[in-house]
Amino acid sequence: MSNYAVEFKNFHYAYNGGEVVLKDINVSVKEGSFTVLLGPSGAGKTTMCKAMAGIIPYYYGGRYAGSVEVLGEDTKGRRVSDIAMRLGLMLEDYESQLVSLTAGEEVSFSLLNHGFPPDEVEERMKKALEDVGLPGRENYQLDELSGGQRQRLLLASVLAVHPRVLVLDEPVSAMDPEGSVSLYKLLYKIHQKYNMTVIVVEHNLDYVLPYVTDMIVLQDGSVVASGSFEEAASIAYEDRELRRILPALWQVKLNLEKRDGIHLGMWRKTSDAISELKEKYGRAEL
Amino acid sequence: MIETREVNFAYRRGEPVINDIDCKIENGEFVALLGHNGSGKTTLSRLFMALMHPRSGEVYVDGENIAKKEPADLADRVGYVFQNPDLQILADTVWDEVAYGPRNKKLSEEKVREQVEEALAATGLTDFADVYPRILSFGQKRRLGVAVALALKPRILILDEITNGQDSLEKEQMMNYLRAINEEQGITIVLITHDMNIARLYARRVIVLHNGNLVFDDVPEELFNGTKDLTEWGLQQPTMAALAANFELTAVNAADFCAQLTLKAGDK
Repeated sequence: MSNYAVEFKNFHYAYNGGEVVLKDINVSVKEGSFTVLLGPSGAGKTTMCKAMAGIIPYYYGGRYAGSVEVLGEDTKGRRVSDIAMRLGLMLEDYESQLVSLTAGEEVSFSLLNHGFPPDEVEERMKKALEDVGLPGRENYQLDELSGGQRQRLLLASVLAVHPRVLVLDEPVSAMDPEGSVSLYKLLYKIHQKYNMTVIVVEHNLDYVLPYVTDMIVLQDGSVVASGSFEEAASIAYEDRELRRILPALWQVKLNLEKRDGIHLGMWRKTSDAISELKEKYGRAEL
Repeated sequence: MIETREVNFAYRRGEPVINDIDCKIENGEFVALLGHNGSGKTTLSRLFMALMHPRSGEVYVDGENIAKKEPADLADRVGYVFQNPDLQILADTVWDEVAYGPRNKKLSEEKVREQVEEALAATGLTDFADVYPRILSFGQKRRLGVAVALALKPRILILDEITNGQDSLEKEQMMNYLRAINEEQGITIVLITHDMNIARLYARRVIVLHNGNLVFDDVPEELFNGTKDLTEWGLQQPTMAALAANFELTAVNAADFCAQLTLKAGDK
């Protein structure tokens, strides 16, 4: 039995008529981890998310080689809906994934589609709405929900089937900072409560820094670093382009560690950095 | 120049979204418009160019009341770049897309070419002139949206969340370019954003809306110096601002910040 939520083996992919966007990907995501997928735009992050859910190559066609395993099973030849029972995917343009009139119908639709019996549907639907902080909203019309609430609703439809892995592509790109912080808090709660593996594409690492355990860094379609967040960040820091997409706090940490030959803590919040820096550093004499 | 006087707005059957807003944006300013989701930022900016009209109060562009105007009447003075770049794309090539506005204005082909070339160069899209716009990356489509607006040579450019979904390198490129046209050509920039760091680094003035009310209007340093509870407004102090403020430093980025710190004697 594999301990990996997802494993890519010698995976290559090109969209129909396009160039190769993923090149020889050999990387795994540990079960129970909170993994961030980082890389400049166009590096192949979204393509990787779609490959995990099996919609690449199933819906997109294209050319591919190698394999992707979800919880130890090859996605090849599996129906996308079967994979979705174990791995839930939320894409960036989440609005386009909403199909129903009311919040309850939206969540139930996904459950019925998966063939759950009607009495179980009701129960799972209510529980999922509760889990995303929308308890008792099953009769709300979609247009009565704010953008942030609609996003959490979609998360509820993905969660309702109880997948063991959750993949999210830039879930907060249209949200204000407070909304983004609270969505990640929610994701972390779900991750902890169900020991669910979370894999997330996020440009603003400040939001995931409090929770992340592992990181995969992509550049031009190849994995250039992977492993614990700490290890992957130090490798990425050595590259001038990648350095600038690391969280500001970690740019400071890695800069000082390298320059002064010291080791600083696993900073997750600004306050961690401030207290350690106050202890060790003073202002430069100008 | 844009000015609003006691402007109010509500969508049909809805709660008021803009309450009695008075503000004046002078020529050549670089303003960030901040606020939580649903605070009224986009609505207010749409009133600036007659995409919608207020329920009460007046909006003036260059001193002229725009109550009777339509967006097309203002298009060569005010450019608007929408949140979703796909909604704006109509033509088969990047070039034609950018040329659409100037051609519509019946400019000479030579003038059209000149303005298109300038807009493409400014947005780094010159090499993509013949490309089918829909195959551009998200970030490139955003730049195309800006190029389309620029080709009409507006004096005021309103940009709604144009850095969403872009990585920090793309953001920096786009923002440096906006800074350049603001400083070199005096084009007024009104930037709607959720990115606190961008507001801090690029805007010279920040306006914050909260539930349709104007609650802050001052320089970004005042907003981000750590003395205000920004969470109430759905905002956040950017990380580097918090670090710098705690050490009474002026650093704007990680490298500067580190350069301004030295190890205390005992730790060397």
